[in-house]
Amino acid sequence: MQITLARLRILEYQEGAISGATRDLRMDIKLPNLGEGADSGTVVNIMVKEGDQIKKDQPILELETEKAVGTIPASAAGTVQKIRVKIGDKISAGQVIMTVTDGGAGAPAPREGTRPTTTPVTPVAGGEYQSKSGFPPPASPSVRKMAAQLGVDLARVKGSEHGGRITIEDVRGYVAWLQAKPAERIDPAQSAVNFAQWGPVQKKPLSSLRKTIARRMGESWSAVPRVTQFDEADITKLNEARKKQAGLTLTPLAMKAVVATLKKHPLFNASLDEASEEIVVKAYYHIGIAVDTEHGLMVPVIRDVDKKSVAQLAKELDDLAGKTRDRKLTADQMKGGTFTISNQGGIGGGAFTPIVNVPEVAILGMGRGALKPVVTKDGKIEPRLMLPLALSYDHRVIDGGSAARFIVDLVKALENFSEADMKN
Amino acid sequence: MDPIKTDVVVLGAGPGGYAAAFYAADKGKKVILVEADKRLGGVCLNRGCIPSKALLHATKLIGEAKESAHRGITFGEPNVDVAKLRAWKEAILTKLAGGIAGLAQKRGVEVMAGRGYFENSKTLRIETADGNKFVTYDHAIIAVGSKSAMPKAFDLGNPRVMTSREALEVEEVPENLLIVGGGYIGMELGTVYAALGSKVTVVEALPTILTGADPDLVRPVIKQAEKMFREIRTGVKVQKMATVGKQIKVVMDVAGKPTEELYDRVLVSVGRVPNCTDLGLENTKVVRDDKGFIKVDAQQRTSDPNILAIGDVAGGVLLAHKASREGRIAVDTITGEGTAFHSVVPAVVFTDPEIAWAGLTETEAKEKGIVVQIAKFPWSASGRALTHDRTDGLTKLIIEPETERILGVGIAGAGAGELIAEGVLAIEMGATAFDLAETIHPHPTLSETMMEAAEVFYGRATHTFVRKRE
Repeated sequence: MQITLARLRILEYQEGAISGATRDLRMDIKLPNLGEGADSGTVVNIMVKEGDQIKKDQPILELETEKAVGTIPASAAGTVQKIRVKIGDKISAGQVIMTVTDGGAGAPAPREGTRPTTTPVTPVAGGEYQSKSGFPPPASPSVRKMAAQLGVDLARVKGSEHGGRITIEDVRGYVAWLQAKPAERIDPAQSAVNFAQWGPVQKKPLSSLRKTIARRMGESWSAVPRVTQFDEADITKLNEARKKQAGLTLTPLAMKAVVATLKKHPLFNASLDEASEEIVVKAYYHIGIAVDTEHGLMVPVIRDVDKKSVAQLAKELDDLAGKTRDRKLTADQMKGGTFTISNQGGIGGGAFTPIVNVPEVAILGMGRGALKPVVTKDGKIEPRLMLPLALSYDHRVIDGGSAARFIVDLVKALENFSEADMKN
Repeated sequence: MDPIKTDVVVLGAGPGGYAAAFYAADKGKKVILVEADKRLGGVCLNRGCIPSKALLHATKLIGEAKESAHRGITFGEPNVDVAKLRAWKEAILTKLAGGIAGLAQKRGVEVMAGRGYFENSKTLRIETADGNKFVTYDHAIIAVGSKSAMPKAFDLGNPRVMTSREALEVEEVPENLLIVGGGYIGMELGTVYAALGSKVTVVEALPTILTGADPDLVRPVIKQAEKMFREIRTGVKVQKMATVGKQIKVVMDVAGKPTEELYDRVLVSVGRVPNCTDLGLENTKVVRDDKGFIKVDAQQRTSDPNILAIGDVAGGVLLAHKASREGRIAVDTITGEGTAFHSVVPAVVFTDPEIAWAGLTETEAKEKGIVVQIAKFPWSASGRALTHDRTDGLTKLIIEPETERILGVGIAGAGAGELIAEGVLAIEMGATAFDLAETIHPHPTLSETMMEAAEVFYGRATHTFVRKRE
């Protein structure tokens, strides 16, 4: 569970609002980068104790590294609330040494008599609330709202009151515990590794396209339980027919075969609407084509593939791919797809595991066709042009059996593609 | 004409709609509140909760006057001036609706009178007296409510066959009144008409009246109704109705035999249907369920990103206070600080005596196989109930055995509707029976029955004796 700073501010704010107490900012003092190749060491002495007032840069710890024993200065001033290491611990850069509460130098002096007593938070480990009656854990509406805003699952907070009721203090304790658990914290900004320490590096800002790709792929990866089904199609015949049409690539033919298969398996041409708990099956066939550009991946959508001839598709594909590489696509031209094809055949490589292009539920990955020895029905070994296929699908919507049936039909469609079909 | 731009438009000014509109305005949004009716307040204020409670209060006196004879206080026969009663009730409604209009004005909420129709996901057309007006908005909240269902077989086009809407107008006091449907609306209005002097027959198709409430809470109501009403028939279906002169001929299936009877008026209270037709919902992405209610998530969002829905039209229990809460949640969702609907919705039936419940019911616990302990305190042991001369009551707690947490509260008895609020708070706060037992309740009041029920759980209630639980 990740607690962001913004959420913590809410917590602090709410505490103030609810208990009438002013905010008391806590902060962690971490082991800084030691430099000169040392990134960890053993604690040999702790020079302060809980409750001590410390100043910034005051030595707080003695650490033995491979090279020497040195003191570690405090990175912040305040009252030591909790020391999180003990003598003999091996600690590394970034690890929390102690938590201090604000109130030292830099903070305005509290006015006499107005400073409320703030009880220090004792971190309390989380648990797993289980109710035989199936009800959520007992907590008042104000505590529930605060937990919701913090993203804290109350079922993991141990309630200290009669009947296991959870108080605001319980939530605070749990959050403090979460914060003190360095292993489970995911905070990329803070755990950034200094790669330059091992050799020269070059830094490039992420382009907005790269950011979009990163976000969308991340979303798909975490939201969609994806399975990839592999197979090979014998495209010897198809390829011969294709060669007779000058400049025709495999992609428009694959689009036709895919649409024919989608019509038999409408679930692959659908989306999952989680809000309304419905599967939305589309009666149109707009196929997205993954295009590799120097800026990154883009997926223009070709509409109503079922209503277009191979020649039309080839032309449209060429046109859209060109626009994509020139970055002249409009946002609309990348929307509304019902299924995506990613053909890497032009580059090379075998099977791969494409990621579902949400909100679609399936994607077809095509590798490069390769001549392979194939045992024919009459027992002979023949060289055949085999096309590696990889069908990734959203297992929330589609089951394995359906996927196997889909790919079998798709292989058939590719293998039985006739010259006549190409003219349609 | 340029469309009027607003942050939020609320369609329907019932207890859900106006609560949402006011809250949105309080949070700094520009709000337009659209209402087709002449008066604000919706069904609740104009044709539901408020007028029915006014009539119940007024007519309660008739019964009480009769019952006071054995206390040595007698009155003559009551003389009911129906027109005056109606006028008094109307005055209440006018005052309340005026209050809502005033509150809207103070907040700068613009009230538009007229029917609303969605042109698309972002535009609402309002058919006002001065022609069509168009409103474009960031968010629309649909709060158009529901209306009484009128099955085709009963819809004779005869004003003597009424829904609650007409029955609350009290045009006359019929000698023989048939109520089809023994839910809360039928039972409440039956109580009013019986007090006014009608011979009331209630017909319910299900095996019991007031389905949803625990049987032990319903029992005192049945007992009292048996005194006040001519008859309650359960498990009986009405098949046909026809106009015969100034009466209605009703055919129903009583124990397998078709029975024909004549009534002066019939009240049909067999459920409510959402007001979803002719709203232009087909021009939006809003999706409805198979019963016609708008599908929403726990944050009141519909399938259309610009449109939210609350209250009766969004399904669930059809209660004003649920609608109001949903209205606030919808606004919180719009302003991005939404928490989902996880509240306990109390239910009150304003019969004689009242029944009220909140949280888990005993029936529900049994159905779902949830192990609970029940602690009951009968009102016959309450001093206050005795002084009211109404000991036909019961307070019970539904408790989780291991944690002693209160999961549900049920009350039958005079004023149960007021008492249930403490139960709701207890459930919401995650209180245990111990918390209730340890809280001093004033004596002599009916609220003590809550504390004593909690004491029953521990086997040490002062005013009743229960053998201690092992």
